[in-house]
This record gives sequence, structure tokens and C-alpha cells, in this order.
Amino acid sequence: MNENENSFESLRRLLALKNRETPPPGYFNDFSSHVLSRIRAGEAREPATAAEHLFAEAPWLVKFLQLFEAKPAFSGAFALALCLVLVFGIVFAERPDYSAPQPQLTQMAENSAPLASISPATVLAQPSDQVMLASDNTNPASSLQPVASLFGQQNTLVQPVSFTVPGN
Amino acid sequence: MIMAEPVERTESEAPAPEEESELVRRARRGDLQAYDDLVKRYQERIYATIYHMTSNHEDANDLAQDSFIKAFQALKSFKGGSTFYTWLYRIAVNKTINFLKQRKNRTHMSLNDIDFNAEHDTDLIALISDNTPRRAAGLTELQKKLNEALLKLSEPHRLVVVLHDVQGQSHEEIAEVMNCNIGTVRSRLFYARQQMQAELADYLK
Repeated sequence: MNENENSFESLRRLLALKNRETPPPGYFNDFSSHVLSRIRAGEAREPATAAEHLFAEAPWLVKFLQLFEAKPAFSGAFALALCLVLVFGIVFAERPDYSAPQPQLTQMAENSAPLASISPATVLAQPSDQVMLASDNTNPASSLQPVASLFGQQNTLVQPVSFTVPGN
Repeated sequence: MIMAEPVERTESEAPAPEEESELVRRARRGDLQAYDDLVKRYQERIYATIYHMTSNHEDANDLAQDSFIKAFQALKSFKGGSTFYTWLYRIAVNKTINFLKQRKNRTHMSLNDIDFNAEHDTDLIALISDNTPRRAAGLTELQKKLNEALLKLSEPHRLVVVLHDVQGQSHEEIAEVMNCNIGTVRSRLFYARQQMQAELADYLK
């Protein structure tokens, strides 16, 4: 290492010239007062931007972003992974899931018992303009509300009904 | 005033650690007078490092002020694991390197004047009159070439040359500031010197 130091001796002497470069006279007299006035002006206590505040709170985020800067391939891989997640998300969101039980049908089946107590005579006794239509609503109380028939025709009631035969 | 001479800091010259820690403690509580003392204590060295890295007085002025303000902002996070000076130095160096990365390829030199006493520096006179083939080269031209050669180095290599060869810091101190090991500092210094020697071949023996 000493050999190296000697071979660079001329360079070191030349670099000493850098220490002869001086700022304008009196520059340092006002330096600290400028710093303090900027601090007093509130520049110091408030982070300039939300990003700076975020980086101050989460230093790991800074390191993560620096990794992107240091290795562009990493940022490409990260972007690719994000795209794949997005594509899979869209594909799976559009595919209907048949295996899971349909909550509406299940609830319909559970609530079909009160319908059984309605006698056919009661249903047939309804006037034609008050025929009940099945709706998407799973609540039988509200879905069987009388609805005016369209064009004066009798609507077909599509509703599971169980008839109780007297004597059984 | 001669700026940031290479200083071999001894125990007697170094600020008393108790005094500095007391100033830091008071500054953390918002005592601006204490922080003013800290700024005055380190302003020349911080400015000089940034100036030698940027070769631009205006940029160095802005960055040095920003570094002190940033340090004041972050005082609460200063755990005392290193000296306040080293911690402050890291802030200044990181700020400067980020700035240089942003302004890449848009280098504009704004050099400070050479101290009048330089004309009487025997080493420099010898460099100009004896060692350079271009004997007509004056100090100003030499200064310009030197700064151009420095700016051709990458930021980490330039920083090592500035801290070691210009400011006289030890390898250990530089390793602490740059957060790398001493071997890295040595190899960067060797490579940077080689490159500068090639750039300034006309002005060296």
C-alpha cells in the first residue's frame, strides 16, 4: 500500500489545490443564520410532502424503492408479478362458482314451510288482478304480495306449493 | 479563510463529547441556540465536502443548508450510535449523491476563487513550474482541469478521494460515513486515483 501511496504522491499534492478554493469572504458569517431562519419559518418541522412523511415513517419502503433503482430487472419482475395477479383476479372474478351452495335457494327451501300451510282454495280464491308473482326476493312474505296482472291476463304463479290432503 | 484543511483530529482538538452531546440534547428539545452552535461548528467541513463533490458553489450552499435543516428535522431519530458529526456527514453525503444522480450529465461548474496564499505554496509552485509540461498553465487552469477530472469519477469514487485526499479523513472514518467496509474504501480510492492520474497525466510527473 505504501508503494501505491508514493506513486500517487504528485496527485495528492495536486489535490491539495482543492483546499485553496474558498467561498466568498464572509460567507460563513451568515450561513447559520440562514439555516436557522429557514427552520424558524417552519420549513424544518413539517415534512415537505406526503411522500417524505411516508418515507420517514416507513424506511423499509425507501430500501424497497432503492432496490428498484439499483436493479431494473427487479422492477420488471415486480411489474410482471403485479400484472399476473391482476389477470388472475379478473379471470377468477368472472368465473361462476357452481360448487358453493346458492344462499338464495337455500333460504328459499328453508322458508318454504310456511307456504305449505296456504291452502289451494285460498290461492284460487284470489282475484285475477291480485295474483301473486314470484320475485327474486327470498322472503316469502314479501315475494307473494299481490301484483296487478299485465294486459288483464292471468299470470301463472310459479311457486312451490304442497297440498295437504285431508285425512292423511 | 482556508477551507477545510486536511485535519488530523486529535483528542485535544476534537470537541468535548459531553459538550456536543449536551448541545444535541438541547437542540432535540427545540433549542435553536444550541443548534446554531452545532451548525457553526461543522458548517465549513460540511460545505467543503459538498462543494468538492459538486464543483459548484451555489449547489453546495443549497445542499449544505438543506442538510442542516434535514438533520434538525431528524434529530429525534438520532440514537447516538455514532457521533453527531458522522451522522450529520451521512445526511449531507446522501443528499449530495441523490442530487448528483438527478442532475446527471448536466454538470455546471461554479468554482470558488483560489486563496491568494496559494501563489506562495511551494508545492503548488513546483507543480506548475517544474512538473508540468505545460509551463504556461496557471493555477486557474489547473483548478479547472482538476475539477473536471473529479467530476468524471463516479459519485462513490469521488467521495472517497474528496474525503481522504482532500479532507484528510482516515479509511475507518470514510467507511463509517459511507456505510461500507474498509477494503471497499481502499479499492475505491486506488481505482479513483488511477483514473485521475490518467486524466491529469499532462500535469503530473
